[in-house]
This record gives sequence, C-alpha cells and structure tokens, in this order.
Amino acid sequence: MRIVIAGAGAVGTHLAKMLSVENENVVLIDESEEKLGKLESLFDLQTIVGDPTKISALKSAGVNETDLFVAVTPHESRNITSCVLAHYLGARKTVARIDNYEYLLPKHREYFNSLGVDSLIYPEQLAAEEIATNIRYSWMRQMLEFGDGELVMVGVKVRQNASILNIPFKELVRDIPYHIVAMQRGDETIIPRGNDVIKANDLVCFMTTHDQIPYIRKITGKEEFNEVRNIIMMGGSRIAVRTTKLIPDSVNVKIIENDLARCHKLLELVDDNVMVINGDARDPELLASEGIEHTDVFMALSDNSEMNILACLAAKREGVLRTVSEVENIDYISMAEGLDIGSVINKKKLAASTIFQMMLKTDVSSVKCLTFIQAVVAEFPVNSECYITRRPVKDLGLPSGANIGGLIRNGKGMNVTGNTMVQVGDHIIIFCLEHVLKKLERFFR
Amino acid sequence: MFHPKAIFRILGILLLIEALFLLTSVPVAWYYNEPVVKSLLMSVAVIAGAGAVLSYICRNAGRDVSRKDGYIVVTLIWVIFSLFGTLPYVLSGSIPDFTDAFFETMSGFSTTGATILQDIEALPRSILFWRMMTHWVGGLGIVFFTIAVFPIFGLGDIHLFAAESVGPMRAKLHPRISVTARWLLTIYIGLTVICTFFMHFAGMGWFDSVCHSMSTIATGGFSTRQESIAAFGSPVIEYVTTLFMFLGGINLSLLYLLIFKFQVKDLSRDSEFKTYLSIVLVFTAVITVGLVLTSGMDVSDSFRAALFQVVSVQTTTGFATANYVQWMPLLWLMLCALMFFGACSGSTSGAMKCMRISILFKVMLNEFKRIVHPNAVIPVRMAGKIVPTGVQSAILAYTVIYIFVLLVGLFVNMGFGLDFLDSFGLSVASVGNVGPALGHYGPMDSLATLPAGVKWFCSFQMLVGRLEFFAVLLLFTPVFWKRR
Repeated sequence: MRIVIAGAGAVGTHLAKMLSVENENVVLIDESEEKLGKLESLFDLQTIVGDPTKISALKSAGVNETDLFVAVTPHESRNITSCVLAHYLGARKTVARIDNYEYLLPKHREYFNSLGVDSLIYPEQLAAEEIATNIRYSWMRQMLEFGDGELVMVGVKVRQNASILNIPFKELVRDIPYHIVAMQRGDETIIPRGNDVIKANDLVCFMTTHDQIPYIRKITGKEEFNEVRNIIMMGGSRIAVRTTKLIPDSVNVKIIENDLARCHKLLELVDDNVMVINGDARDPELLASEGIEHTDVFMALSDNSEMNILACLAAKREGVLRTVSEVENIDYISMAEGLDIGSVINKKKLAASTIFQMMLKTDVSSVKCLTFIQAVVAEFPVNSECYITRRPVKDLGLPSGANIGGLIRNGKGMNVTGNTMVQVGDHIIIFCLEHVLKKLERFFR
Repeated sequence: MFHPKAIFRILGILLLIEALFLLTSVPVAWYYNEPVVKSLLMSVAVIAGAGAVLSYICRNAGRDVSRKDGYIVVTLIWVIFSLFGTLPYVLSGSIPDFTDAFFETMSGFSTTGATILQDIEALPRSILFWRMMTHWVGGLGIVFFTIAVFPIFGLGDIHLFAAESVGPMRAKLHPRISVTARWLLTIYIGLTVICTFFMHFAGMGWFDSVCHSMSTIATGGFSTRQESIAAFGSPVIEYVTTLFMFLGGINLSLLYLLIFKFQVKDLSRDSEFKTYLSIVLVFTAVITVGLVLTSGMDVSDSFRAALFQVVSVQTTTGFATANYVQWMPLLWLMLCALMFFGACSGSTSGAMKCMRISILFKVMLNEFKRIVHPNAVIPVRMAGKIVPTGVQSAILAYTVIYIFVLLVGLFVNMGFGLDFLDSFGLSVASVGNVGPALGHYGPMDSLATLPAGVKWFCSFQMLVGRLEFFAVLLLFTPVFWKRR
C-alpha cells in the first residue's frame, strides 16, 4: 500500500515510522529539510522536500498512485487544500487533520467528501474525549467504549490487594462476567494463556459490560473515589480547551497558563464555568493558593511532556489522587507508567488509530488505541457470511497477538468463549497488537 | 549497540549467496569441458559450507540490526567475499599465490580491474568468467545486489544500504529500498544484456561478449585478453565499448527514469550529467589534438584512441586500446587527472565523482565572492537546488580523506622501493578503482612484479575507495567502538 504523508510534525513522523516498519510504502513530504532530516537513512521510507499544497510537489511524491493520503501539517486549511489537490491528482483516500470542531459535525461530512476529503482527524478532540471518559471512573487507567457503550474495555493497574492475583487463567476464567484480553508487565505485553497469572503492578485490560464495572472494581481491590468536583489543568493547550467542553458544567475547572497572551485568548475559547489563572503550575505556592488540596483531578496538558510528568508527580505529592498527563514522546509512556502518575494521554497514538482505520479494506466501525500498550482495539461488524462465521472461535486460528474481547449481538454486549459461533449482524471487538491488525482482514472476507 | 549474532547471521547468508554467484561458473566449465570444474565445485562447497555453518549457529539471532552493525557488516562482507573469492583461483592453480589471488579478487569486487595475471588467455574460461562475475556483483555493490534479489534482512536492509551506498546525495526511486534496488538491478541487467549483443555483433565471440559486457557495465576493467580491448583490433568494438562504458558512468537512477518513465528532461537538466559529458568532450578534444600533433597517428585514429582512453579512465573502467604511458607526458597527466574525477554518483564508477568535483569547484569560487562581499549569503546550487552546508562540509572532509589515503599509499609504495611516478600512479589508480596506473604499471603492464606489501596495501586502498572511505575507516576510530 502506498501512503503519502504531508507534514513531518510529531504526528506525521510517528505515522511514517510506524507504517514503514509495517512494510507499507511510505512517502513523507515536508517543506523543511531539517524536519525530514535523517529519516530516510534510518527508516525504509522516502522523503521529499516540498510544499504539500503545490501540485508539482504532490506529483513528485507520486500522489496519483497513492492509496492513502494523510495531511497532518499544523495548518488546517493547508491540510484541506492538499487533500483536495491529492484527490484531484488521483489519491484513493484522503485524511486531513483539522482544528475546528464544526467540521466534524455529521451534516458537513457530505460536503467534505464532495471536496475530496474522505476523513477528518482532530487529535486534540480525540484526546479530550479520552480524558473525559477517563475521569468518570477515576480508578481506571483507560476506558474505551464500544457499540454505544454496550461493551467497555477497562485498563486497571492491579495492586497487592486485588483478589485475582496469582491464579492461573484456566481456573480464573470459570463463570466470570468479564474477559481479560491482555496484560502489560513492565515493557512486556502478555496475551494471557491457560497458565499465565496476574501479578501485582500489572496493567490488566478487562473487556466487560457497563453493569459489571463495580464488580471489576471489587476484584481489582480499588476504592471508589468521590465524584469529581474540582479540576486543575496545567497549560491552556487545545486539548485543555476541548476537554473543558466535555466536562459537565457542575465541575469547577481552573486552567493555569503561564503565557498572559494565551490566557486572554483562552477566555474567548472557554465557557464561563472555567477560571483562567496566569502563573506557573509547577509553583507549589500557586497550587496551594488555588486549592490543590481540594482538587480531585490534576491534568497536565501543556505542550511539554517532561513538564507534564513532573507536574503530575508534584501534584501527587500534594495529595491529588488522580492525575492525567499528556505525554507527546512515545518513549516516555512506559517510563511515565513506572512513575505511577495515573492516566497518560498521547495524541499521536489517537491520530494513528484513525489512520489504521483508513488503511483497512474491510469495513470497521472503530479502531481505538491503547496508550500504555502498542495495541489497538477494533470493532468489526460482521455484515455477511465470511470466514469468521463458519467455525467456533477456538478453531478460527486467529493470529497470535490478537484476541477476541467480546461481541455485540442485537445491541447487547456479551462475552465470547471458545465455543461461541459468530453470527451475521454481530459486532466483534478484537484486541490486537498494532502490526497484527491488517492480518485480521481476511477473517471478514 | 552491536548485535554480533545478527551480524554473523547476515554474513552467513551473504556467503551462501556468494556460493550461488560462484556456481554460475560451473556450467561454463562444463560447457568448455575444463578440468577445473572439480576445484570450482570444491570452492562452492567450502563457501556454502562456511555460510551454512555461520547462519545455522546464529539462526536464533534477533532481527535487529543497528546502524553501527550496518557498517561492520558492509566492510566485513567485502573483505570476506574477497577472501573466499580467492578459492577458485588458488584451488585451480590459476593463481597459486594467495596474495596475488586476494589482490585479483579485491580488484574484481571493487571494479578496479588491475590484474597481476601475465597470460590471461592461458586461464580456463570458467575462471575468467568468475573474474568477470566479481566485477559484475561489485559494480552494483554486494549488499545492494543482495537486497535487490533477496530482500532477506527485513528492517536491517536500510542500515546496510545506507552503509554501502555511495555518492553525496542519494535519492530513492521508490519508498522501499528493496523495490528501488530491484528497479536499478533491472536496468543493470538490461544494460548488460544489450551490451552483450552489441559486442557480439561488433565482432566478438559470445564468451568474450558476455565477459566484456559484465566488465564494461560494472566499469571494472578485467578483460579476457592480455592486451585488453586492443587485442581485438576493431574500431567498431572500441566504439561500442566506449558507448557502454559511458552509459555505465551515468547515474543508474537517471537511466531508470529515462528508460522507464521517459523523463528525458531529468537527464538534460541534471547538472552532474552535464559536467560528466563536458569533461569527456573537452578532454577528448584536447587529447585528440595532442595526439595528432605528437604521435603521428591520423585524425580518426587519434580521436578514437583519445575518446576511448578518456571514457575508460574517467568511468574508472581501465580498458586500454593504446598504451597511453608512451604518449607525451601532458597527455597521460590529463588522464591521471581524470582518474581523480570519476563519473556520476549513483553509477558503478569509482573515484571522486563529478557531483563532488563540481560542488567543490563552486565552493571554491564562492570563497572568492565572499572576500569581495563579506556579508553576502552565497548558496551552492546543483541543478537549481541549494546544497546544504552539511553536505558541503561532508564533501570537503571526503576530499581531505581521499588525498590522505592517496598520500599514505604513495609513502607505502615508495617505502617498498618503487619510484615516484609508479608509486603515485598506483595509489591514484587503486583509490579511484581505475586499474591501470602510470609509469611502469601502465595499461599494458601486469602488476605481478609488485612487492607483496604493495599488493596488500593497494587492495586496502581499493576497498576503502570502493566503499568511499568512511564506512571502512569508521571501524578504525575509537569513537565507533565506545559504548557511549
């Protein structure tokens, strides 16, 4: 598959590296030679110096033979322009990164499609949505919803006090209302088999239904925290602004931003229930005077990953039970995990999940990325008779690294056992490591 | 980060591939009913055995190959290929002395074309074919060739490719190097086949045509005759050889675009190609005039000899139709200058390459401008594009190291008692992968009489010259081996 990526920023570079490692034909265009740098000699991809809104540059990138064109420069209008041009020159699918929530509204979709922009991604919005779902259940690391919330995937860090520790899976799995799809132990991702056990400090991914969430909380030995009332955000970034829109009005939100000019700008962007404070959120005195001890959630959402991690550590020490930090640098994620600073949000991974979805030829309802594991959870609708409906799950021969999490039948979420037969009309939720995703296509053909 | 197991695994696989290359000589031996077939098969067995053992022992190695591993693999494989490549010569008794055999093999793989043989016609044809095979594989690059045919190294491909690739700026034709390599290999094979037919119809026998076309397209210089192309005494063959040497000196990517994408404009706009062409034309014109005035040849003979020698030396092939060391000194000195220049980057030729020469020249001119306008921002442009300062300084460093290796060679050669002209010529011709040198070691002379030490040092120079210095010399720097 030939993929052209316009814009060698954080998202573009991440995508290019990831896709080239997966043996896709990747071409990366950017105006700045420094940004492209040594990528070409380190990864098996082609870099082209040029303006992606110029027809000549797009032509030299071979856009006419391209299966997927991804425009992820920092400028929304240029992304749309280059998608329109790429479509005109013959690119099969185009994705543009945008900055404007209005564009995402379903009523405009047809218009954008007619322009030649097949899909839009708004990484900041995706990040904000993830933060908003995460703070609902503060004892979880990550929660993803599938099929309008019929099935949920819950990531929990289990401690010494959990009741499911050190029990082999084959004994654990009898008559349980959940399914464990994967565990992360240190840097290792484990897809559990019969004799594996859960150990303390593992991050465990449960697939279950909404009504079983309290049960999951019980077996993992977590306490329910009080309802979230006060939130402090560090850094008035775009993610912060989008997050404030998704949090209920009853919650008090304070944004601490260092740059006065940005503060003024923020006032125009956020609603009235949000208070904007000018200052350095790493300053303990400022935090104390803004009531850090009454804060339920501290969110570090500035553009600087190191600062975010440190600020969350500081907030934890001040007694905040729940922290969320935006970590741009993917290599830092496992490190941040080791520091126990709660949820970690990464907008590159969120953007990547959209691209994954575009790459698949099979129809897929959604693909969601896990922050702390190099894995995705995808929801596949079974529209017609295909390989996967012909035999029970245990005989399917799914690739290693993939695991069926559950399925939604007639709008009801249910667990899957080895003997389950998938039927037409089901939606299947599959957990899989990133590079396995494409191998799943054949099961749905 | 080093991954010794992964390195040995790759080396093992590459040795198996060398065995395959050598295997192609066996049918030749059968066809001509030569008794060397036994020693050829024995060599194949030894090489394949060594490869199989290495890759079997290290079969569990991870697939990770770092950048540093890439440099180690590339340097080692050129040395190991040359070491094992001596087997057919030594076992068959064609070149009984190991030093000579190593020199000959390294000269083959590095497409230098300098030979220690004194009676080429007496050798079995299968052995001659193996000599040509070393040229043909070395022309494109051992690793490059392998990536094109069997993309086996997975993610390591890119590091190996980067370590072996030459030229100051290399552009990819396709996002994946294995595909790029395959495309270039297609062009390479295509050129060789076409060249074979041309040579045959110009009057060579089939065996000679195949051998010479492999040597010509790789810009190597080995011939199946002791007197090189002069042995055929045919102007048509000389012109055909000139044409294909010239084509071999053009950037293969440009040829690809020209032939498969009909992008004639790219070729005419390419400033390196223009430099290459103009150097050929100017030098040919001057040497023709020189020959007409001093040697007593008529105009057409002078032109043919001049054109042939200029193209042969500039593309660092090293075929000969005339013994240029007997020309007047100015004329062979001009050829000596060409030994520095080389043809286009991205071609099979060696030496400095026209791209670097023209950038160097522009950098030099800019220094003058800068004295007059101290505050001016003066770019160096190639084909309308600005050459980044990083590339400029890399080229300057390259030039310094080129001259340094050349001078060391001069000292070594004179240390072994050669005279100045011979020493200088050998050093220039080895570093530039040209082949024939100056003085007593001109195109019609054999290098058999050289002291063994000189042969080893020349082999070293050929290797570093072929891999453009940094890849090899890097392994001799302490920084490379430090864990920091």
